[in-house]
Amino acid sequence: MPRHFFEAMLVALLAGLLTVPILGIQIQVEGINVSLEGDPLPVLLAMAAVFMARLLQVPLKAVSGVMHITRRVPRPIHLPTAYRLILIVLVIVAAAIWPFTVSRGAVDIATLALIYVMLGLGLNVVVGFAGLLDLGYVAFYAVGAYGYALLSTHFGLSFWECLPLCVMMAAITGCLLGFPVLRLRGDYLAIVTLGFGEIIRLLLNNLDELTGGPDGIGNIPKPSLFGLEFARRSSTEGGTTFHEFFGLEYSGADTVVFLYLVALVMTLLILYVINRLIRMPVGRAWEALREDEIACRSLGLNPTTIKLSAFGFGASTAGFAGAFFAARQGFINPESFTFIESAIVLAIVVLGGMGSQIGVILAAIALTALPEIARQFAEYRMLIFGLVLVLMMIWRPQGLLPATRPRLELPARAETL
Amino acid sequence: MLEFFQQVINGLTLGSIYALIAIGYTMVYGIIGMINFAHGEIYMISAYIGLITVTALTVQFGVENVPLILLFTLAASILATSAYGWAIERIAYRPLRSSPRLIPLISAIGMSIFLQNYVQIGQGARDLSMQPLISGGWRFGSDAGFQIYLSYMQVLIAVVTVIFMTALTLFIARSRLGRACRACSQDLTMTNLLGIDTNRVISLTFVLGAALAAVAGVLISLHIGKINPFIGFDAGIKAFTAAVLGGIGSIPGAMLGGIILGLSESFASAYLRTEYKDVVAFSLLVLVLLFRPTGLLGKPEIEKV
Amino acid sequence: MNSFNRHVLSAAVSAVLLGLGGLAHAENTIKIAVAGPITGPVAQYGDMQMMGAQMAVEQLNAKGGVNGKQLEAVLMDDVCEPKQAVAVANQIVNDKIKYVVGHLCSGSTQPASKLYEDEGILMITPAATNPNITHQGYKMVFRTIGTDDQQGPTAGDYIANQIKPKNVAVIHDKQQYGQGIAEEVKKTIEAKGFKVALFEGVSKGQTDFSALCTKMKSANVDFVYYGGYHPELGLILRQCREQGFDAGFMGPEGVGNKDISAIAGPASEGLLVTLPADFSADPANASLVKAFKDKNQDPSGPFVMPAYSAVQIIVDAIKGAKTEDPVKLADYIRKHSFDTPIGKVAFKENGDLKEFQFVVFKWHADATKTPVK
Repeated sequence: MPRHFFEAMLVALLAGLLTVPILGIQIQVEGINVSLEGDPLPVLLAMAAVFMARLLQVPLKAVSGVMHITRRVPRPIHLPTAYRLILIVLVIVAAAIWPFTVSRGAVDIATLALIYVMLGLGLNVVVGFAGLLDLGYVAFYAVGAYGYALLSTHFGLSFWECLPLCVMMAAITGCLLGFPVLRLRGDYLAIVTLGFGEIIRLLLNNLDELTGGPDGIGNIPKPSLFGLEFARRSSTEGGTTFHEFFGLEYSGADTVVFLYLVALVMTLLILYVINRLIRMPVGRAWEALREDEIACRSLGLNPTTIKLSAFGFGASTAGFAGAFFAARQGFINPESFTFIESAIVLAIVVLGGMGSQIGVILAAIALTALPEIARQFAEYRMLIFGLVLVLMMIWRPQGLLPATRPRLELPARAETL
Repeated sequence: MLEFFQQVINGLTLGSIYALIAIGYTMVYGIIGMINFAHGEIYMISAYIGLITVTALTVQFGVENVPLILLFTLAASILATSAYGWAIERIAYRPLRSSPRLIPLISAIGMSIFLQNYVQIGQGARDLSMQPLISGGWRFGSDAGFQIYLSYMQVLIAVVTVIFMTALTLFIARSRLGRACRACSQDLTMTNLLGIDTNRVISLTFVLGAALAAVAGVLISLHIGKINPFIGFDAGIKAFTAAVLGGIGSIPGAMLGGIILGLSESFASAYLRTEYKDVVAFSLLVLVLLFRPTGLLGKPEIEKV
Repeated sequence: MNSFNRHVLSAAVSAVLLGLGGLAHAENTIKIAVAGPITGPVAQYGDMQMMGAQMAVEQLNAKGGVNGKQLEAVLMDDVCEPKQAVAVANQIVNDKIKYVVGHLCSGSTQPASKLYEDEGILMITPAATNPNITHQGYKMVFRTIGTDDQQGPTAGDYIANQIKPKNVAVIHDKQQYGQGIAEEVKKTIEAKGFKVALFEGVSKGQTDFSALCTKMKSANVDFVYYGGYHPELGLILRQCREQGFDAGFMGPEGVGNKDISAIAGPASEGLLVTLPADFSADPANASLVKAFKDKNQDPSGPFVMPAYSAVQIIVDAIKGAKTEDPVKLADYIRKHSFDTPIGKVAFKENGDLKEFQFVVFKWHADATKTPVK
């Protein structure tokens, strides 16, 4: 114990030295006069925090060690198909009923979380299944969002008409961008996609005539339910709104709940499609490619087509989510499509456990809820967010719920020959 | 024509700064194959430390000797920033050494968000600024027409950049530790087997990268004179682009990439429209990678079976 | 993927989100949400707004509050991100807060205002100047600051009538606010027969403008209008002056911040700025300015007094209309005028101020300013 104690002291001392210039000395700019002000308190607080963290690291490690062991034990939960179906139906029903029981703020955040679930699931196909690192995923999200915004404001198409068009647009963009870059390997691919993401955002900001530039596009209509609008008054002459049709009192909460349900349906659709796809030859090919490209080629699979299909599918999912995002916001501008958005979606995929869909869903919910829960910490909010990302990578690099799939390994041969 | 030369000067100054930051990316990538997203933040921290040191010296202690201030600031900033580089590697990357490629990347993104907010809490989100320490310069050309202006600061940036780049190149080429660095970049496991403490070499890489970023940070706070906790992100992406452009893993490549990027931004501003300079910079990156996937000076990757 | 996981998932989701729902508070206070950036790159402007609103709440509470109730400012951080602004707006609806002072950035005000309109929440923005915000036909949306299409023409007229430049460059920061004003200025001066040689955007956070300076210098520009905020203009001034480019410069209230002199130093001498009249210099506000100074706060920021006024208007309307119903208050506000630190204010039908005077100031290197005209 004393050894840990001294170690912790030492680390705290180092932390103190490091934090002095940033936390301990403040630059005061008063008009044109610059002066320095010393304040030891933040440094001492930081030192104390580091000291405690270091001291607790040992018991924590013991705990995580236990977790480590339990994780290794295969979980023998293989319910019969009938039970599985019942459970899935129950979960879906619960998710559908749940918004009627809570406040609209919570429902709204859940909607935001579902957008990230969709993005996460889409990127999971690209990164988790096909093993292609995409750092510019937000570009396709933007294509979907702007696609819907432009189609609806210029041509008056409804959300449901636009949705397939947006998906197609994003998929085409994905294939167009993907085709030349997919022959790049690993990190180079990541960098090129990062470049494309930035270029698309900059173009959105600069092509004022088309995209409204930094002004963005406003008054994007919300989805309607079989032509029934969710609004206090109908936007079209003679149109009927939802509450008028059913003779209800107008309530803004209806819109929020409806948006949530739309997002839920969209998410379930994506989940369904992905679950079909990964059981089809193309899905198998994605994973095979991730594991060994050369083996794939020698089996007669064309890596470019396979990569392109994964990339295009991921892009179309982002376009799908983007169209919904535009509808939820009612207003979009390029600020919503910065690199950090790509980074967060990637963090969701990694945090959830690459290739694990349940994990990705959990991580998306956690990463959306975390900043909201941390809202009470005001300026410490994003600090905590960053720290949690680092700590999670250290403690659970395999993700919250790593993908488990049945696997057979050749028994290690004794090397006696 | 004269303004063309002025634009070249502008581009070279900008490029030098990019090159200094790009070194940090390239060295880390060369050795452990990881994109250190928090490197831009290191640069931002060094700019703060530089600003604080200069302010302390000039306002608090009334030092007026410019070379002395410069040397002391560089030393203080390199020292403190290297410590940050070392600590970040220890905390956020070392425990992840054996994990798949993506894990340290996410950890780096987390670290980057953390550091931005950490500085924001310590120093506030507002822009801090200071007056130029070194002002003045040379003017060329007739009084009536367009005059080319070359400031002392721009010359200083070029000179300091060249000095540190040369020092680094010599260090890598000649010293024992430099050789160990090169060995690590070829084969980490093998180097380890040969009795070289690879952890130490990796720490050293982060420290060296941070030190050069510190030089860039100090130069930028002297030259531009305005910093905030968010400057690291943009500079980081640009410098990273420069590193890739030149061939990631290659030190001369980082220099070349920085200069090319600086020049192309300058020319895009000058002869196209300013709002398209970043589009040009990123398009250049994409094009180079498409036709020369390993960058301008990068070694082609050999496919191993 | 097994079903056990799915079950755990739904339980976890419900638990997390139920917790977020928040608990109802006892209503002995009148809550006013102050929404704007507390963190993020524009937090310094958010500070001005928070400072002004909090001061108003404190002072009004010290005077006994409203109808025996105390005021409470609830600070909400939208980081100036449109996505977060919608979440914040929903949170405000959720917490049953009926009055909002905010948001700050036009980009986040726009999507949020739609929600407030739908939900019958009274919103007064002390900072968002984009004309579109009040052109949506909303009934619940007001602002205590002028708009870009008021400020742009003021600046344009001044350039055309007083400066009469030969070759104008209009530069902006590619943000909603900056580009909006820059376009208004361009329109005004072109209508008066002047030529705009360069109309270009820089990017937010850019630090190197030397290429732009060289370009303007070689195009023989003799006057520059910059639409945007002070950090970029400060650097443009500094780098351009260094290159020996000595044209006149002008900017909107976003550049009228003391920091511009800290950044540009002597280069900020002679900069022209259109600003709301300096309310902190108004003798009627002397005691208020002193109150800020006592708290070591700077009352001269452009959004401090408008934020203070926004709170005061809400309170005066509650007192005057003898109701707390925001919809009735909105009607009341539209029909009456109020005495505030930004002067006697009355509103147009769309929620904009009837009169909001922008004055051209000349900026000095020591961060002071003197009105011209």
